[in-house]
Amino acid sequence: MVNELRELYRYRELLWTLVLRELRVRYKNSYLGFFWSLIVPLVTVAVLTIVFKRVMGMVIPNYSAYVLAAYLPWMYFQTALLDSSQSVLAQIQLVKKVYFPREVLPLAAVLANLIHFALALLVFFVYLLGYVHAPLLPSVVLLPVLVVFQTLLIAGLSLFISCLNVFYEDTKYIVSIGLQLMFYLVPVIYFSEQVYHAQLASPEWQRWIYLVYHLNPIAMLMTAYRKILLPPITVQQVGAVQKQTFASLPMDWALLAVACAVSVLVFVLGYAFFNQRKWEFAEQP
Amino acid sequence: MSDIAILLEHISKSYRLTHQPYSSLKGILLSMFRYRRRIEVHQALSDVNLVIRRGETVGLIGINGSGKSTLLAIIAWVIRPTAGRVQVNGRVAPLLQLGVGFHPDLTGVENVYFNGIILGLTRQQITERLPSIVRFAELEEFIDTPVRAYSSGMVLRLGFAVAVHTDPEIILMDEVLAVGDEAFQHKCLRKIQEFQREGRTILLVSHDMNQVRQVATRTVWLHQGRVMADGDTDEVVAQYLEFTAEMEKQTF
Repeated sequence: MVNELRELYRYRELLWTLVLRELRVRYKNSYLGFFWSLIVPLVTVAVLTIVFKRVMGMVIPNYSAYVLAAYLPWMYFQTALLDSSQSVLAQIQLVKKVYFPREVLPLAAVLANLIHFALALLVFFVYLLGYVHAPLLPSVVLLPVLVVFQTLLIAGLSLFISCLNVFYEDTKYIVSIGLQLMFYLVPVIYFSEQVYHAQLASPEWQRWIYLVYHLNPIAMLMTAYRKILLPPITVQQVGAVQKQTFASLPMDWALLAVACAVSVLVFVLGYAFFNQRKWEFAEQP
Repeated sequence: MSDIAILLEHISKSYRLTHQPYSSLKGILLSMFRYRRRIEVHQALSDVNLVIRRGETVGLIGINGSGKSTLLAIIAWVIRPTAGRVQVNGRVAPLLQLGVGFHPDLTGVENVYFNGIILGLTRQQITERLPSIVRFAELEEFIDTPVRAYSSGMVLRLGFAVAVHTDPEIILMDEVLAVGDEAFQHKCLRKIQEFQREGRTILLVSHDMNQVRQVATRTVWLHQGRVMADGDTDEVVAQYLEFTAEMEKQTF
């Protein structure tokens, strides 16, 4: 794998050119261009806020900030995986003719989405400081760490998915359905505290459910984004039957460490899988 | 440096062909009713030995499916042989088929940068060579227009212009010239002759025997993955034409 990484480094200019090309092409024929990357999450979060505050009765000050803090990383995860699932197949004619490290194709899709994510985070901070007037927590310095591990996780999955999609085109449909279901298994529209207090479990099971839920690295990373970006919050849910209050839970550092370790592992395994099959791409009829 | 550009020793390549590929659920269900799934091994190349010296222009001929493209792909290092040893000395530039590597939404210039970098140039080298590339492609007026507005001839010229400006030592051409018009073919021919004078190595896959006779100093005839003949172009082409005439007689 070291040799593969060295070869990838040698082709860094190609990787960077591909990233720029993705960014340039995506909104080439639209008037608002890059702003679509911001309009989509902002509209989604506005709708979610209205539904959950007004209809479902969540009583949380600045709910939209909490949704956004998790929704932006989720969007990064989702769009990067969807984009990269097609990345190799879309260039298969080139792959059949020219030598270059094949991994630049999915990695460029990931990096282009990383840049979109970074820009969206900037807008998030403007929103946070200018509109919500929330204090900037010292834990914000951990943000780059979360982004790096999330990117490794995404890159590992992308390498795996893009490779598999060359041989079985069902992959992209499975990924798309999987992401839709996954959306409910990560804390975007609800809070991880609500998972801890889930009604389906008896009290002794609470800790276990919370643990298993957060063994999913993307779920843990999103809980972590919220906790480092925004102050702890007490969630009140005014339900039809009773009013529930969920006290904020502290960051579980051990679980975060596990999520980071899993992300690295996913990257290593995804890259190994890709490397094993990448010279068969050109043989596909 | 040795004077050998390409050295192929005992190259074999086999593909596994599934006769019922998992292309659809229907296919899988149907294949269940068979005794066994037929997985056939298709031998694309068997024990090919080839030494190509610097400055040679080698024509590769053979009927469809004879292994010409696989051989070219192995030399370009995009397909790994099942057995054998490949040694390529010098930078290889494959000439791409019409429109491959071009993005329709990007302008000519943007596509030149992408194509050049994928063929191994640096950004700076492309900037230096850009005027010359544009002149060669005769696209001065359209170079800032998105490629979707180009005619196929324009795309072909631009792709060819980039490839010949990568300063390649070994040039691989797989039926790329068949698409262009008369004027463009003449231009390519002149460029090939210029490359020959400069001592570059060229590998040319073609079904156009006149073209092969015109440029190739040596010709290799592949049939069913084996080298049938290798030598003087006129002799090998004559043998090949005799063989295809015989085949035609048998089918009628």
